[in-house]
Amino acid sequence: MPTRYLGLALKNLKRRPVRTALTAAGVGLAVAVAVSLGGFVLGYRQAIDKSIEMLGFQVMIMAKGCPYEAATLMLKGGTGLLYLPSDTYRKVKDDPGIEAITPIFVGIAQKEAGGVRDDASQKTFTVLDGIDVPSFVAMKPWLKFKSGAGYSGGKWFDPASKDEVVLGYELAEYEQRKVGDSYYATVTPFGKTDPVRHEFKVVGVLERTGTQDDGTVFLPIDAARDAFNRPKQLTILGLKLKEFNAANMREFENKWLKLPEVQVVSLQQVKTTLVSLVGTAQTMIAAVAVIAVIVALIGVVNTILMSVYERTGEIGVMKALGARRGDIFELIWLETLMICLLGSIVGSIGAWVGAGLVEKAIKSLADLGVSGSIVRITPGVIGWAISGSLALGFFAGLYPAWRAASMRPVDAIGEGAA
Amino acid sequence: MNTLIEARGLKRYYRRGSETVKALDGVDVSIREGEMVAVLGPSGSGKTTLINLLSCLDAPTEGTLTVAGKSVAGLDEDRLVEVRRGVLGFVFQRFHLLPTLTVTENIELPLTFLGRAPDPKRTQEILAMVGLTDRAAHLPNELSGGQMQRAAIARALMIEPRILVADEPTGNLDKKTGESIFRLFKQLAAKGLAIIITTHNASFGREADRAITLEDGRIVKEERTDAAK
Repeated sequence: MPTRYLGLALKNLKRRPVRTALTAAGVGLAVAVAVSLGGFVLGYRQAIDKSIEMLGFQVMIMAKGCPYEAATLMLKGGTGLLYLPSDTYRKVKDDPGIEAITPIFVGIAQKEAGGVRDDASQKTFTVLDGIDVPSFVAMKPWLKFKSGAGYSGGKWFDPASKDEVVLGYELAEYEQRKVGDSYYATVTPFGKTDPVRHEFKVVGVLERTGTQDDGTVFLPIDAARDAFNRPKQLTILGLKLKEFNAANMREFENKWLKLPEVQVVSLQQVKTTLVSLVGTAQTMIAAVAVIAVIVALIGVVNTILMSVYERTGEIGVMKALGARRGDIFELIWLETLMICLLGSIVGSIGAWVGAGLVEKAIKSLADLGVSGSIVRITPGVIGWAISGSLALGFFAGLYPAWRAASMRPVDAIGEGAA
Repeated sequence: MNTLIEARGLKRYYRRGSETVKALDGVDVSIREGEMVAVLGPSGSGKTTLINLLSCLDAPTEGTLTVAGKSVAGLDEDRLVEVRRGVLGFVFQRFHLLPTLTVTENIELPLTFLGRAPDPKRTQEILAMVGLTDRAAHLPNELSGGQMQRAAIARALMIEPRILVADEPTGNLDKKTGESIFRLFKQLAAKGLAIIITTHNASFGREADRAITLEDGRIVKEERTDAAK
């Protein structure tokens, strides 16, 4: 890194502070877009990875339907549930390729004037997950009960219980429920028209997981089936294979797709589906970023060229005083790099500060099928953006620096005096 | 005294459309160490062209030119700058100080190009010589015309040149300030510096050791002045 002309370059840039600031702002805008895009790509992939990992299983067997719905159902909750016959569990569980399996019944209940935040006129919905505790916990060994005042003694419900529930962290926080409190939910049983109000006792509150589980009500699978009047149905079978690879997955899929009404979805497929869903959006944002970079590049070249033309006389004098072609090139190039560095720092800070807004905007535009943060601006992303910006400066500075370095002192001094 | 500049048959022609402009048309001149030479003549007579050639800012179309023992005819800019570096100091009519730099930073600037570290003691000496000690930290726009020209002279002297080239150094100054600048040049010449000055002012010409008068790109008069006797 040249240092001999740093002070001089800095003073030259400060000579026209508004112009320098506007040019740096142009670079900053391009960098902010690039950093936000990078942060989104990284954050979204990590969010998908985390959501999928925190499901605890590699493969899902569920009723035939849209694979995207199937994926988001487990990752983020959803409506439009489809059900499997419950004997699917019996048929599949003894497959020798399976290491672990857990049946899950998912139902949508109406919360009714039970929470402190509800008013009598307001009705909201919540996801009820009927689970088989031993197999479910084996899939998600990280699930822990919240401790502390009001939460001590948290435990899983009795499998035979009809009125005990465990609440996810966020749901309990939102509803302000603690261990021993009541939780109300209204369910319209299948085939009936009149909703039935249930009062459950909270026997445990889970610690935060950062997944859909945080907003879920867990109850015994039989209790859930009874409440929804679907005694012989299931929503999902979550599975872990003994050896998970593409060949085994294909073999497993072929074996069980012969069952009517069944689809087998690997979470790798889910990931691919989710990533491809936002691929188009990412391409569009990348196109915007590229345009912003091109505009910034033109802006930087224009600013530095203008500065070179304005300082033609000075450049001639510097050459007369002994500056070689390389000295002038270095000075002008350094000025370009400094503008780009300044812009990239400002843009990175802007993107970092505005990450929350970007996340809100993206989430308001599309349901991306994952919970948790989807924009992650890491030092690595910022490092790439700053390096990219310096590369931009590297190229943007070439022509103006060459132009200045090529001036003949006698012409430059004459033009500068004109 | 050693001859520092030796020019023979120096020509500088320009193309202006289909016309050839003979800015300098066969000039012989030599300048020795410690000699102060004034180049006189009306506007367009070729004074600036001659001084540009003698100071290696430009290359002649024809003729031979030796500066500080190096033949410079036919050299391109990359080679001319090597002849200039550390040998020639420049003073311009419009001072050409860098507006963002203080007086001290301006006068130390040539050292940066030569890759030499500034010596604060030397800087102080030069500032004292040109009478700008109390203006060292000021920016050019805080100086008078005479002070700016003194700063420009200090900048030229910083590299301890063997030849000082001044193109109309008093052109933008009042008479009294111009005279003080001329006195400074005479002191520098007395210390062994070769000085070439272009001027419109005939009285300044008489203060130099030698005066060369140009007209239409040719020397029409060359005389040793009383100052040299």
